[in-house]
Amino acid sequence: MLPYQTLREIELFVFKEARLLDEGEFEAWLDLYAPQGIYWMPSKPGQTDPLNVASIIYEDHAILAIRVQRLLEARALVLTPMPRTVHMVSNIEVLNGEADSQEFEVGSAFLCTEIQGERHRIYTGRQVHHIARDGDSFRIRRKRVALMNCDGVHAPMTIPI
Amino acid sequence: MNQIMGEPQGVDFPISAEEIRGLVQPNHVHRRAYSDPAIFALEQERIFGRLWIYVAHESQLKNPGDFIRTRLSKFEVLVTRHHDGNIYVLHNRCPHRGARLCMVDQGSNRAFSCPYHAWVFRPDGSLASVPHPKSYPADFDIADRRNHMQRIANVQSYRGFVFANLSDNPPPLIEHLGPMTDVIDNLIDRAPDGEVEMSESSFALEYRGNWKLHMENAADIFHPTFVHSSSVMPARRAPANASILDQDQTREMLMANGFGFKEWEGIQLKGLDSGHTYMTAFYDSGVLSRQSEDPVSIEYRRRLAEKIGEERAAQVIGMNRFNNIIYPNLIINAQYQQMRIAIPLSVDRTLVRIQCFRLKGAPDGIFHRAVRFISNLGSPASMIFSDDVEMLERCQSGLKTDTGPWIDFSRGLDSDDKGADGSVSGAASEMPMRVQFNAWVRHMTTEAA
Repeated sequence: MLPYQTLREIELFVFKEARLLDEGEFEAWLDLYAPQGIYWMPSKPGQTDPLNVASIIYEDHAILAIRVQRLLEARALVLTPMPRTVHMVSNIEVLNGEADSQEFEVGSAFLCTEIQGERHRIYTGRQVHHIARDGDSFRIRRKRVALMNCDGVHAPMTIPI
Repeated sequence: MNQIMGEPQGVDFPISAEEIRGLVQPNHVHRRAYSDPAIFALEQERIFGRLWIYVAHESQLKNPGDFIRTRLSKFEVLVTRHHDGNIYVLHNRCPHRGARLCMVDQGSNRAFSCPYHAWVFRPDGSLASVPHPKSYPADFDIADRRNHMQRIANVQSYRGFVFANLSDNPPPLIEHLGPMTDVIDNLIDRAPDGEVEMSESSFALEYRGNWKLHMENAADIFHPTFVHSSSVMPARRAPANASILDQDQTREMLMANGFGFKEWEGIQLKGLDSGHTYMTAFYDSGVLSRQSEDPVSIEYRRRLAEKIGEERAAQVIGMNRFNNIIYPNLIINAQYQQMRIAIPLSVDRTLVRIQCFRLKGAPDGIFHRAVRFISNLGSPASMIFSDDVEMLERCQSGLKTDTGPWIDFSRGLDSDDKGADGSVSGAASEMPMRVQFNAWVRHMTTEAA
């Protein structure tokens, strides 16, 4: 059993990621990722291969940086008006890691509500963070976002989940 | 007596040929073409109900019992491989009580069984069995076609691409495809083993707009500079070769939409009377294309040349056509083995399916690029397509109201070159949309199927 202190640190880190997205602090959000950190949103349930099967998003820090800059560009048509989101994260469990570990695998459930003009959308599913200690906080090595309807019919997505 | 249940019934449309012609002028189109549900119903009859419509690729139906589910005009259909090796297109409906039979998009079944009263159908739609046969009347015949899943009469393939046609006596598929067979040939020729396979990579996107908006956008090389600037600018500012994942493919693709007048000069648009259009001399200008000689490309070229010779390999790889649009709703890009289908759902809702092929015999790296290409271009989170979709939805939104009912398609009207084998224009012309609408008027005003 992980000490409560460690579990709480991990939870607060995951909550912070969600809050930065809600606040539109996309550059600060990207700073949570390790220099070679990867954000992965598969397009198939149980997808294990990001090279031979297309993903909704499979991007490392360098590509995410372009995505973040686009979020900040006033000209992004799909972001006019800027969507507002609330990312809720719950059911957090540390799947891998001990009190003295440097790396943790953290599972959670998410619910993201997005409002843009008259349009409301809900994204939900489960996610797994691979995080590593970095000073007195963590960095994300990899985040895998499994949307419940990942293989369904979608409208364009804007703000990361 | 041969009237099979569910056959598209002739509907008495209150729209005359004269009225249809009145919606399309040489340089203008009336908003009703996009927003009138009656026009949409007529399109389902006269365009999607009469032309050859792509439904599946044979590589998705390798074994008897394999099937995929898709739409053909207003119908949901199953495309199946039967035990006789043939491909059938069937209405997804039990002839007994009318229940939808198959609830998944793809799979393999020895038989389709209706869960309601357990009628069981073979992959060719024929009725295999009913439970408790003695309770059916003496003249009930399981061999009677009326008790079978209803078949679409016309199904033809061109080199693995399966099309279906709902009309009575359609011209051969090959006639409809015309010179567009070139792009299917080129896609297959790119495979060192001479065969392509539909991959499981695919996306389905729905937008709130008319299907024609998407087809016009795919033939429009004028908009990217404006619509995609929010991804072009950050990509330009980003350092080269920083990604550990994709050899800079994403950054280059995003930047490629930032072309200007200089690149337009090189591009030529072609439009055929059938409504098919494409862009030529496309990659010469550097647009969307990887020009560098990297190890994956070199190995791929070597493998292809080994099979078909250096000279032919150079021709095949050098084929320089982008967004090949087979009227009414299929778009093929051979260079990245990518395909898109626009499936009309209602006058203001369209489903776009984006898929990619694997070139058999090519290095894995070539397929990984095709996968990356469709993610960048067609994923719901695409930094490119999402802005296109936003514009399509804004157009639909604006076209709902009758404020100034005419929209303008005049750009390039004075400079198009109409030759014997179709129209040719520069990149800035709206000729492809005019060509699409000429075909539209022709089909929409043909009363008899």
